[in-house]
Amino acid sequence: MVKVENLVKNYGNFKLELSMEIADGRVTGIVGKNGAGKSTTIKSILGLIKPDGGHVTINGVEAERLSSRDKEKIGVSLSDSGFSMLLSIRDIICILKKMYPAFDEAFFTNSCKAQGLPMNKQIKEYSTGMRAKLRALIAMSHGAQLLVMDEPTAGLDVEARNDILDMIRNYLREDDKRSVLISSHISSDLEGLCDDIYLIHDGKVVLHEDTDAILDNYGVLKVSEEAYEQLDKSYILRSRKDSFGYSCFTNEKHYYAENNPGIVIENSGIDDLILMMTGGN
Amino acid sequence: MHIILNNNSMVPIYEQLMDQVKNEIISGELAEGEALPSVRALSGELRISALTVKKAYDKLEEEGFVVTVHGKGTYVAATDKSLAMEARRKTVEDDFAAAIRKAGSVGFSKEDIMEIVKIILEEY
Repeated sequence: MVKVENLVKNYGNFKLELSMEIADGRVTGIVGKNGAGKSTTIKSILGLIKPDGGHVTINGVEAERLSSRDKEKIGVSLSDSGFSMLLSIRDIICILKKMYPAFDEAFFTNSCKAQGLPMNKQIKEYSTGMRAKLRALIAMSHGAQLLVMDEPTAGLDVEARNDILDMIRNYLREDDKRSVLISSHISSDLEGLCDDIYLIHDGKVVLHEDTDAILDNYGVLKVSEEAYEQLDKSYILRSRKDSFGYSCFTNEKHYYAENNPGIVIENSGIDDLILMMTGGN
Repeated sequence: MHIILNNNSMVPIYEQLMDQVKNEIISGELAEGEALPSVRALSGELRISALTVKKAYDKLEEEGFVVTVHGKGTYVAATDKSLAMEARRKTVEDDFAAAIRKAGSVGFSKEDIMEIVKIILEEY
């Protein structure tokens, strides 16, 4: 669906340089700290910024050359853009109808009602959660094959986040060729949704892995200093000195569980991945 | 299907899912020819990645519990349940054998082992 090849973008001292791929029917997540380059990557994929090098293609078409026809098949929800705050959902429906021939008015109105979004109120009177839901629903309202969402759950309470994630799940259920690219700071959101995860740090891909491999095989070993000396470090990706000894990040926790009876191993999630792979040594 | 997943377990999610589907097939709760939920539907319901569900379905197919008809869905295969049951019993026997070997290696006698089994059974 989407191919990013050797993308380069310079912003003063910051240099983004990465490749990634989103296959048909896949949900791909991007994680990383603030300023790691997540939004820049997303904007390059959408052709909103011009890369200094490399190629981004969507279904074989260069991102900068996408026709409006091609763009109709992409649903986008960006954190800092949207319709004017002075409009109401009724106004937005009129605009969407003109913009997207495939706009599904029944789906959109029903979903807005189901989420409790008032049709006639101006968006400026909406809460943060309501605005986020509206952005997500607009992205899904026109049968897009690709959904690109930059931080769709940022700043929301747990219930609103779940509502949005469930919307994405329902959207995926409709057609198994649909793909999603999503970035988030909230790892648990991605753990339950994404098929694979890219960890970006300082403009580069530090790690690309299937989510189930992260959850099943990655872990944090907690060992004393003496035990650390003895430890077979073949599958230790990073270690960090802690008050009790060492925290070691591994991608083969079952190997250590079998060979080191009694060793303390914590299951790790994407949060550990970010902490251990972008800090420590 | 009733699936309960434990995210804190050391057992991989796809294995937990496989085991529970297998149990339902062996117990007859999932009948032969019955359709399993689609990969996307089940992943949405359980809030796990679709790849994890697909992995579980693929392995179940490898082991002959289900068949996937391309473009249609995944169905419970015609399995010989007594064979599946036999395989289950075999794994339990293996677990017993392993425990007995372990007990032997730390010097337990046959009587000690019988005694432990008795005590555990009483509490059971």
